[in-house]
Amino acid sequence: MWKLAATLAVGLGVIAGPAAAQDRPERIGMGIFTFTSGPAAAYGMPGRNAAELIIEQINEAGGIGGVPIAPTYVDEAQGGEGVVSEFRRLAGDQSIGVMVAALSSGNCMALAPIADQLEVPMVTWNCDTHQLFLGEEHPYVFRPNSSTVPEFISYAAYLAQKSPDATRIAIINPDYAFGHDAAQIFTGAMKAFNPDVEVVAELFPKLGTASFNTEISRIAAARPDVIFSNLWGADLENFVRQAQARGLFRSSQVVLALGESVLQRVELPEGVIVGVLGDGWWMSPDAQANERTKEFVSAYRERFGEYPVFPAMKMANTILAVQAAYEKAIEASDGWPGRADLREAFAGLELETLTGTVTVREDHDGLVDQLVGVTVASDEHDFPVIGEMVRYPADQVTPPVGEDPMAWIGTLTPDFAASLPKPGSYE
Amino acid sequence: MDIIIPLLVDGLAAASLIFFIAVGLTLVFSVLRVLNVAHGSFYSIGAYVAVSIGGWAASAGLSPWLSFPILLISAALVAALLGPFIEATFIRYTYGKPEALQILVTFALFLIFEDLQKLVFGVQAHYQDAAMQVLGVSEIGGIIYLNYQLLLIALAVVVVVSLRLLMRHTRLGKLILAVVADPEVSVTLGINARQVYSIAFTIGVFLAALGGALATPTSGVAPGLGAEAIVLGFAVAAIGGLGQIEGAALAAVIVGLSRVIAIYYAPAFEPVMPYLVMLVVLLVRPYGLFGTAQARRI
Repeated sequence: MWKLAATLAVGLGVIAGPAAAQDRPERIGMGIFTFTSGPAAAYGMPGRNAAELIIEQINEAGGIGGVPIAPTYVDEAQGGEGVVSEFRRLAGDQSIGVMVAALSSGNCMALAPIADQLEVPMVTWNCDTHQLFLGEEHPYVFRPNSSTVPEFISYAAYLAQKSPDATRIAIINPDYAFGHDAAQIFTGAMKAFNPDVEVVAELFPKLGTASFNTEISRIAAARPDVIFSNLWGADLENFVRQAQARGLFRSSQVVLALGESVLQRVELPEGVIVGVLGDGWWMSPDAQANERTKEFVSAYRERFGEYPVFPAMKMANTILAVQAAYEKAIEASDGWPGRADLREAFAGLELETLTGTVTVREDHDGLVDQLVGVTVASDEHDFPVIGEMVRYPADQVTPPVGEDPMAWIGTLTPDFAASLPKPGSYE
Repeated sequence: MDIIIPLLVDGLAAASLIFFIAVGLTLVFSVLRVLNVAHGSFYSIGAYVAVSIGGWAASAGLSPWLSFPILLISAALVAALLGPFIEATFIRYTYGKPEALQILVTFALFLIFEDLQKLVFGVQAHYQDAAMQVLGVSEIGGIIYLNYQLLLIALAVVVVVSLRLLMRHTRLGKLILAVVADPEVSVTLGINARQVYSIAFTIGVFLAALGGALATPTSGVAPGLGAEAIVLGFAVAAIGGLGQIEGAALAAVIVGLSRVIAIYYAPAFEPVMPYLVMLVVLLVRPYGLFGTAQARRI
């Protein structure tokens, strides 16, 4: 009988093996999900490029605990079903230690329960929807980045500080969770900072829209003081080209939440409020003071022919967070850390990134500062850069753990915006 | 009243682009009786070729006014290279065959072209907006419009009139009409029906490629453009009545205006407007606005 029990125990040990501490592997498999084709590739490819470069740099420096990272890239343009299927396939490969997924908030929402089910750590690099951890715990999912709430509150705060008299707002966001969430958060915060604010046009064109000409007419007819948009990728490029030619940037204060990602591709006029959904601007004072960042930026520019836009910096910072978690797990484990050990290591993780710091809170959400500014002409570059910057501290613009984000926004007052650092204070 | 002018200008501008997608599709169906799913590919290939040649012209420092002949030349190039070849090697063998087979063959072509485009032009979006920039803007009813939008409306009218003239007042048009009316009698009378099919198919490819090329100055081109075009093209062609050129024009105006009205008054409905219109029209007139149960007219 004891032999049977011993055999069963050994057998169960083998089955449970991948999740527990084990021998040092030859490589650390990493599934990396982003858009590498289609209109969204304009945003997703910088992430792909940054992953390639930062992994190469980590591997050249000896890898993680002496083990090189071996990435497998998955194109999110294949659609939700294909992405889920690829995620399951990679999770079934025990050489894959961690997933860096995904770009799309929709894909993250679909993948999070699967990561929990398959007990594979999933580290989000771009999907910012606050709904990811809203009312549902995901023990295997971590976001070492910020979420939509601090990101879009920051734009409202910047506007309240810079253009306090602006009351007529038009919104043009993509027609999915990211766009609708942003509209709700931005409007809620704007109304909290100035009760006279009214939304005069609210449009949600579908992702992949090529012509925004009717939307531009509709917005122009509404005569808004402010036009807010979190369009991205090729959609943003198309919108900027068409809107600028039709004078929209002259008649209203335009806020492009993801504007930095197109600064090098389209001609944005001066005075447009832009940001980086976090602190990931390669030219920020913090980034420029960091030798490793300068080295990364220079190598990126040399290889890919452009400077790393913020999706690239977010990806690089996320992979550095994975590296930090692995190093923490290695220190805490007897053998090589398994997936469960890595999960443990992510809780409470703090690290210096290429552009600042990040803390992973107990609810698995990240604390990252928010950088906002306006486009200004540059002496050094043939494209505009960000000036009149402010860096809002993460803990000031992020709802406390356990608090409903929308309810928290409802508690904000004009004094809140006034208490934040002022535009131009980050130099 | 203030809203009427923007509704009309935006609606007609949107309609003109939609018309370019549908007109070639409906022309090919009227002559060859083939539902050509690959039509969407010719649209996107026209866009890619126009952006590529336009990009080369810009980098060579040529005048931006050359963008306009480049758009036309791009469409003509695509039509000349692909039209006769595809008709002779694939489409010809589907004449008179069941519609399911025709759709399978042209869908296969569409898939092959989609992958070929990714191989040749890459997977990222491309832009070339010199034609839009050089024309400038006009203010109508207090709203600034691109003159290029107004040019598209004029071009769509020119294409409708030209096709009408071609079909009714030229020898080629009469040959096409004869083949459409009765291919067997046409052959007996000495008409080279094969050649007529090839020419009609090539005109269809030209119109698709021209539509794609004309869309690029404002919208650029990215993978997936062909799929979006063919779905919309089929909807508009079905609303107008398959094979009806004037029907396609009227359907494009209805769909264009309905989308614009939706953006102004019920933005959430904008993406489904072409299909809502199609549903209503086909419920009332199952053969489309200009279609009839048996007639084969163009």
